[in-house]
Amino acid sequence: MNQPERPHDRPELEARVAAHPFLLGLSEHHIRLLTDCAMLTRFQPDQKIFRTGETANRFYLLEEGTVVLEAVTMDETPVQIDIVLAGGLLGWSWLFPPYLWHFDARATEPTTAIFFYGTVLREYCERDPSLGYELFKRMSEVMIKRLQSARDRLSEAMKMNKPERQ
Amino acid sequence: MPNEDKKMEQRVAAHPFLQGMDAHQLSVLSQSAAPTEFEAGQIVFQAGDPANGFYLLESGRVVLEARQPDGSSVQVDVVAAGEPLGWSWIFEPYRWQFDARATEPTRALCFSGILLRQHRHEDLMLSHELFKRMCQVMVRRLQQARSMLVEQQKESPK
Repeated sequence: MNQPERPHDRPELEARVAAHPFLLGLSEHHIRLLTDCAMLTRFQPDQKIFRTGETANRFYLLEEGTVVLEAVTMDETPVQIDIVLAGGLLGWSWLFPPYLWHFDARATEPTTAIFFYGTVLREYCERDPSLGYELFKRMSEVMIKRLQSARDRLSEAMKMNKPERQ
Repeated sequence: MPNEDKKMEQRVAAHPFLQGMDAHQLSVLSQSAAPTEFEAGQIVFQAGDPANGFYLLESGRVVLEARQPDGSSVQVDVVAAGEPLGWSWIFEPYRWQFDARATEPTRALCFSGILLRQHRHEDLMLSHELFKRMCQVMVRRLQQARSMLVEQQKESPK
């Protein structure tokens, strides 16, 4: 497991949180709350960020690099199911029970990210619904796009696999 | 309170998606709700049409389908009784991405997105609750769609 960098420089961390495209437009107050839960982290090419079935207590906002989501199949050949680019959000499973990762995530190039402790953030959101609203709204926007793209690829794949289908 | 409003509040309060919402939130939601019914085979909405709200299914079943260039349709998801249907009202371009079709007689509550959007900023607790619940359903559907995609990719000719 990669060791996260210690947030010794709070102003820098706060600036990086505020600069991330996913959080653009949030108030200073919200950025401060988010920074409380934030840590900087780096991954090397091919490094695993999380594995299927492990506890999901966090999510990542990528600053640089690329991460692929993979499903590990019976014969151990991973199937790539999605790709997250710089500026994107990685990890939904921390949001709801059973809080376990559904897939593997692997960096494919040198990657820097801010990661957020979901457990603390969930409490913050319950105490401050304006933060919860802002975060969930942004997350649902990203999720809708991913869901639509997954469904598009699914319908493509189903068509390819069943050419006789009317 | 007129009898009909009261009935609507009871239906809204009874829906599993809204379980645990407080009386004020249920009352705001009821004001944006209309009861709807679909026969088996009836189109609920069509891809490309303006998306002005969402549905909470009370009974029945709706399939989501992607229309192909050759005119055929591929089923991409199923929404069952007790679940919400439709996200496209939340974000631009506010148009449905897929076709939704009832596959059996279906009863639903239809919520006006315009009315809810008006309440969104002044009633943050309600917005937070709604978006949190929608995210929860979305995560599940996303994981489902991706798992199905993995199955399809394993099946595909190498």
